[in-house]
Amino acid sequence: MSDVRGLVDALEAIVGRERCLSRPEELFAYECDGLTLHRARPGAVVLPRDTGEVVRVVKLCRRHGVSFVPRGAGTGLSGGALALDGGVLIECSRMDRVLEVNAEERFAVVQPGVINAHLSEVARPHGLFYAPDPSSQAACTIGGNVAENSGGPHTLKYGTTSNHVLALELVLPDGDVTRLGSVAGWDAGYDLRGAVVGGEGTLGIVTEVTVRLVPLPEAVETLLAVFPDVVTACRAVGAVIRAGLVPAALEIVDRRTIEAVEASVYAAGLPRDAGAVLIAELDGPSGPLPREVESVRALCAGEGASRVEVARDEDERQRFWRARKGAFGAMGRLAPDLYVHDAVVPRPRLPEVLETICAIADRHGLRLSNVFHAGDGNLHPNISFDRRDPDELRRVVAAGEEILRACVAVGGVITGEHGIGTEKRDYMGLLFDEDDLEPMRRLRATFDPDGVCNPGKIFPTTRFCVESNPKARGYDEVPL
Amino acid sequence: MSLDAERLRLALGADAVSDAAGEIDGVKHALTLDPASGEALADTLRLLSEAGAAAIVSGAGTRLGVGNPPRRADALLSTRRLDGIAELDADEGVARVAAGTPLEVLRKAAQEAGWELPLESPDDAATVGGTLASSAVGPRLQCFGPPRDHVLGLRVALASGERARCGGRVVKNVTGYDLIKLHAGAFGTLGVLEEAWLRLRPRPEERRVLLAWLPEGQAGLERAAAVAGQPAARAAVVVDPALARQVDDAGPCYGRALLVVELGGAPELVRDGGASLADLEPVEADAEQLDRIATLQRQPDGHSGLRFRVVVRPARIGAAAEQLARAGASLLVWPGAGFLYAGFPLYEGADELAVDGAWRAARGAAREGAGGFVLEAAPPWAKAARDVFGDPPEALPLMRALKQRFDPAGVLNPGRFVGRI
Repeated sequence: MSDVRGLVDALEAIVGRERCLSRPEELFAYECDGLTLHRARPGAVVLPRDTGEVVRVVKLCRRHGVSFVPRGAGTGLSGGALALDGGVLIECSRMDRVLEVNAEERFAVVQPGVINAHLSEVARPHGLFYAPDPSSQAACTIGGNVAENSGGPHTLKYGTTSNHVLALELVLPDGDVTRLGSVAGWDAGYDLRGAVVGGEGTLGIVTEVTVRLVPLPEAVETLLAVFPDVVTACRAVGAVIRAGLVPAALEIVDRRTIEAVEASVYAAGLPRDAGAVLIAELDGPSGPLPREVESVRALCAGEGASRVEVARDEDERQRFWRARKGAFGAMGRLAPDLYVHDAVVPRPRLPEVLETICAIADRHGLRLSNVFHAGDGNLHPNISFDRRDPDELRRVVAAGEEILRACVAVGGVITGEHGIGTEKRDYMGLLFDEDDLEPMRRLRATFDPDGVCNPGKIFPTTRFCVESNPKARGYDEVPL
Repeated sequence: MSLDAERLRLALGADAVSDAAGEIDGVKHALTLDPASGEALADTLRLLSEAGAAAIVSGAGTRLGVGNPPRRADALLSTRRLDGIAELDADEGVARVAAGTPLEVLRKAAQEAGWELPLESPDDAATVGGTLASSAVGPRLQCFGPPRDHVLGLRVALASGERARCGGRVVKNVTGYDLIKLHAGAFGTLGVLEEAWLRLRPRPEERRVLLAWLPEGQAGLERAAAVAGQPAARAAVVVDPALARQVDDAGPCYGRALLVVELGGAPELVRDGGASLADLEPVEADAEQLDRIATLQRQPDGHSGLRFRVVVRPARIGAAAEQLARAGASLLVWPGAGFLYAGFPLYEGADELAVDGAWRAARGAAREGAGGFVLEAAPPWAKAARDVFGDPPEALPLMRALKQRFDPAGVLNPGRFVGRI
């Protein structure tokens, strides 16, 4: 357990009193990220403005044997930004400057606290955008995206964060600063840049990111196909992939989600009797696009879509997407709490897996809805629940584990874009045995031999302190 | 330390141990080990590790010359018998292949299943494992990108003999650290690749290869860069006049460079792409002309000369190429990828001075382009005085620490990688 009480004055001396939080009421907001089930109160929170301040904070923590945890906007969904042993949370949101936009060479240099959507706004006048677009893009930061190797709907065509990070500046857990990667793209030696992306903030603190910017597509077409049920929609996705088409996005929204969206401020005029809708976006040079749109339309119809609409203008396109991007907000209407799961399966197995998942939820008497990146096989089964009901909470956790097991059984994995964090560390064994985990431990030990940078994440462990112990909070079954 | 061949035969089977001796950069090894399964590969490494021996890791051996001279070499460890496509899912375009599978075999199988293999190598006999481990690339680099981008999962045998998996078979995955990125391009120094899950690409609807002579000087390269920027451009390689004769009899060149282009995708894009270079009066060619580029990537071979691979920011490729041309290099340039090969002949009696001149030109071009370089082929004496991977990266101390954690005894390719790791 880290004891930071004696450290607060020194932290204030580095970042200033107004950017160092240590009173309980100030720390309350930092007890969890987007996964509200897991909580741990940090000993203090600092909001540095530059690399130099991060270095000084890290070195101070090291001198006092205190652990530290980087945090972006706190929108993560796997408990990755929790200071599990009460250490110092280094919140990077004040490092929010876009340092350079090089339109000619199509890259930007940003501080880690720059908000994802903001970067695309800055790039847009240059005819460029930043491609990875997690659903939380209006709030989440580039630094957080790097930590989680975030995806989003457009990952299908454009790839995940790792495909777009050219270089990084990293404050190592000993306080040294190093640069990894380069604009040229290939560098001598091991691709440590590639290892740090998706490292969940356990390999150091990213203080500067050079990202690739992508030209805005010449044309975009968005289709909305209505299916009798989610399984049929999945079959259509399989048909599109098999046909060798590469849409920018292929997203499925199921009936329960449609009902919630239509009853909310995000209402998109979706047919309430639809079993599922598939949003397919195609982009690129305008010449071949109409044929591709026709191909997708025909494939959807062939798999049983009752109707397929093509957005007539930008307003309509935005309306289709509102149904997708507003889904999580709308689910707030279903129940006080929402557990957003994340798993990936081979795309041809989507129909059967969806059936299995729905059956699992039914068996546990839970309200499950699906809104997901079908083109990548990336499922997001969402369970709406009320955490004040201990029995329901127990069933939520049990169903979650069964869902993960069902995905692994067909060759899938337990997270596609949210990360392991605290949420799934004890499920790592579903995929990896000790021999598989050992090289990961060696990578971790290379960067952080003393285990002080974001401890307690990714690896299965039984060590946790009372404060973050779910049993101490009455959640007997929460896998923390 | 010398290896006990009899003990190895007893443990691994007689067919896995041969007395085929060899030499890498002047360092001799007495044995060749050919494990036929993942288990046998792991056993082999465990035995090597216990004996305190060092192994040169090899696929088909097509890029075995790339690297610093080994510090030690007791045996050549080949993955060639780990051969075969275990699964190829035609519905979603993913394949699980053993590391020793030749690229040409997998390419053909992918094609028959309706997909395209996005891996290339200067030599099609190269194995999948060797291509990944050595970051081999081919003419379609600007379209395919580095090999690491197509790897979904790996099974690796570690120096100590454990077998470990990372990634998986699905196309999106953040379960645990991305160790794939570490192993891809590591030249087998962190572990020996045993098996990979790869992502295939949809095949282009239409394809066309064109050859065109470029205007002289910088204008030619700029023109080539514009062609490379076409939406349909899958390959655009500039072959300098000295090498162009080897590609095709495309007519008299008058000392000009040859542009070899592959266009692919939707018919209208291919048509537009073709129209964009109409003024160069290109001639239609067959796909084999692209393969000849791959052949040129193997020249010079280290006996007859020095071969550098230089990577720069794409916008600076012109300046880098010019600098190297002035120093007397023959060039093969990928303007769309910021990538080039530079060859310098070594004449009879060439000495350190000649190597130094070429080295300084390559380093100058790489620095000019804010990139890096590798001396891929050189005689052993020319490698002795320099790290063939060029200037040490800023993170070299971390890389050393990583190697130390993965292979503390230096079993795998000791001394061959960056910073003589």
